[in-house]
Amino acid sequence: MARAVRSICIVGGGTAGWLTAGIMAARHCSKSGGGLQITLVESETIGIVGVGEGTWPTMRSTLKKIGISETDFFRECNASFKHGAKFAKWATGEASDFYYHPLMLPEGFPSLDLAPFWTDYSQAHSDAPSFSDAVCFQEAVCELGLAPKLITSPEYAGIANYAYHLDAGRFASFIRDHCVKNLGVRHVVDDVTEVVRNDTGDIDYVGTRKSGRLGGDLFIDCSGFRSLLLGETMCVPFVDCSDVLFIDRALAMQVPYDHEQSNVIPHTVSTAQKHGWIWDIGLQSRRGVGYVFSSQHTTTDAALEELRTYVGDKHRGLQPREIKIVSGHRQTFWVGNCVAVGLAGGFLEPLEASALVLIELSADLISNMMPLTRETMDIVAKRFNAATQYRWDRIIDFLKLHYLLSKRTDSKFWIDNRDPNSVPESLKEQMELWRYRAPGDQDFTSSQEMFPAASYQYVLFGMGFRMETRHQPLARDSDVARRAFAQNAALKVKWTKILPKNRDLLNKIREHGLQKI
Amino acid sequence: MQLVELSRSEHAGLRIREDLVEASAANQHLIPIVVSEFRKAATQYPIVFAKNPDTGRFGSYVLNGLNIAENLFWSGTQMDVAYVPLNVRRQPFYVGTANELCVDLDSPCLDGTGGKGIVNPDGSDSLYLTEILSVLNQLVAGQKTTERFIATALSLDLLAPLMLDIVLEDKTPLKVQGIYGVDEEKLRQLDGEEISRLWKSGWLDLIYSVLISMGQIYNLIRLKNQRISLSRAWHDNES
Repeated sequence: MARAVRSICIVGGGTAGWLTAGIMAARHCSKSGGGLQITLVESETIGIVGVGEGTWPTMRSTLKKIGISETDFFRECNASFKHGAKFAKWATGEASDFYYHPLMLPEGFPSLDLAPFWTDYSQAHSDAPSFSDAVCFQEAVCELGLAPKLITSPEYAGIANYAYHLDAGRFASFIRDHCVKNLGVRHVVDDVTEVVRNDTGDIDYVGTRKSGRLGGDLFIDCSGFRSLLLGETMCVPFVDCSDVLFIDRALAMQVPYDHEQSNVIPHTVSTAQKHGWIWDIGLQSRRGVGYVFSSQHTTTDAALEELRTYVGDKHRGLQPREIKIVSGHRQTFWVGNCVAVGLAGGFLEPLEASALVLIELSADLISNMMPLTRETMDIVAKRFNAATQYRWDRIIDFLKLHYLLSKRTDSKFWIDNRDPNSVPESLKEQMELWRYRAPGDQDFTSSQEMFPAASYQYVLFGMGFRMETRHQPLARDSDVARRAFAQNAALKVKWTKILPKNRDLLNKIREHGLQKI
Repeated sequence: MQLVELSRSEHAGLRIREDLVEASAANQHLIPIVVSEFRKAATQYPIVFAKNPDTGRFGSYVLNGLNIAENLFWSGTQMDVAYVPLNVRRQPFYVGTANELCVDLDSPCLDGTGGKGIVNPDGSDSLYLTEILSVLNQLVAGQKTTERFIATALSLDLLAPLMLDIVLEDKTPLKVQGIYGVDEEKLRQLDGEEISRLWKSGWLDLIYSVLISMGQIYNLIRLKNQRISLSRAWHDNES
């Protein structure tokens, strides 16, 4: 007889655990008796890593889907708006070196590809605007520190596409309260003392200190770097990716604002350093700043000096937290009745904020493909593994692209990053194609795609990469392109005039809230 | 606008031209109203909800036009309607943040030739000022109730954007954006208990006033078409 899948046990209560619980519970009606029963067990004693503070725009639909008010989210999670990322000193390391990876697609994309037109123009004109500035109005909005919407915009609706910066600790407890109060998730606060498998190899139950055995038809491992279920219990090996991505340490600190009402930078600032890069993320009440570097190339002390120089003398007293990063992921992600989400599945480095989005995508995928019986679970597991492996590979390619294109020569870190032996074959192939034509949707054909072709365009051209356009078909409708560039210029004028300062909008949301409609 | 606290002594000589009071609405396509006005307003205007651009909060309004700053009821000298909202009739007087009575010294209705004064020769409030105070009282009292009504409507998801896609007689397409109305579908889905609560609080009446007032949109379209044909006739004559 087929064994129905009725109950899910999530181990670990960080962002991964609670987001997964929320996404599953909302979709599978855990509140009503007929839905899936979801239990989340989290330890009182193990803290959460909690430095993941940047999201993708997907977080808007995730929060909406699980029934959270965006106003509450802003008020409770110290959250702020994010238009995308500004990369400083990545290409040459000079003071004037920066580019944007905004969250909106280039004007007209993908039916119109402005990249060849911009390439030709920028080669003929030394004063040409940057690629992102020429094709998207967000760079101009970011440079002025403006928000992506108005106080009259409904919750989750934007004038510009946006994501969030958030306080990961507060975010986890905010989602937890919602899951427990409104979504019918059972919350067990206890330490897991053992994970016991049955004779088929499936996990039978997790034993806890005070709450006895917690069973489940499916176990979701959200235990963080430890990977208690998938790694330790199911013995799925770890695939090390440090031969491609060298970052293995982070020094994180919380930097106060100069004034309570200092503007909140509406984008992530990523500034390349000698042996890595520094993230700078504006929340409402503070900045989150951290240096991720390669311990193969420098020492923690030297990195700390670079970080201190970045934050300035005023903040010399701040003590950073050091986090070890083992760059890589598990060989598979779903084995038997156990699937890992979040750090338990793997982690690369914080570049391009891929951690939270991968949690959302994984939880969505599990939720959408939820096997109804244990017998069909292995089929779902196989598909989940293929999709998730594909996603990790694309993230690795995309992150590596940032390093590969750098012209910095000031340290072995940057030079080693361009060593062809450290570049995945899949990325090499793409780079070969892109020598002659810009990244397009045809280069990314999976339904599990992570970064849109436009993101590759922003990074490629932002980093100073130039295509040879001479082999491209001549029949180009440059009138259409001219109109699209003009349209972007008009949008820049319009929105830089209308959009409010990021801080002002955040204050207004605190005071008045956003309307649902 | 230049608001100052009204002083019965200092401003004893103020004269107000009542015939200019309604001119303040000449270019207003939205005029705020309070719930106590809904029934009367519904006989003349569409009642809509719109967001305050500074706070994003909803308020209730009568809709006078189909374009920004268009008041189709403005005849050139007055509002050609049977009911003029309190927010027009109160001109040029306001209530300050500390609940004090204020006057807008920039208002065109302050005019030496005006027929109305604020105090009688014996220094007591004139009948005119007493009426103004009553209008202002209704507005202040109505403000809170209106906010509560809107909060209730929002909590029940009863408000929804109004998508007005109009094609005028001369084929001009017109999209009116940023206004909200009652979502009839959602109203129908409320259970008996909720309807009963709305009925007891008197808010069901208001909801129906808003729903019925929607028919006044056709009056606005009629007035707009009239304006277009008038202006066409004018231009035809010229040529």
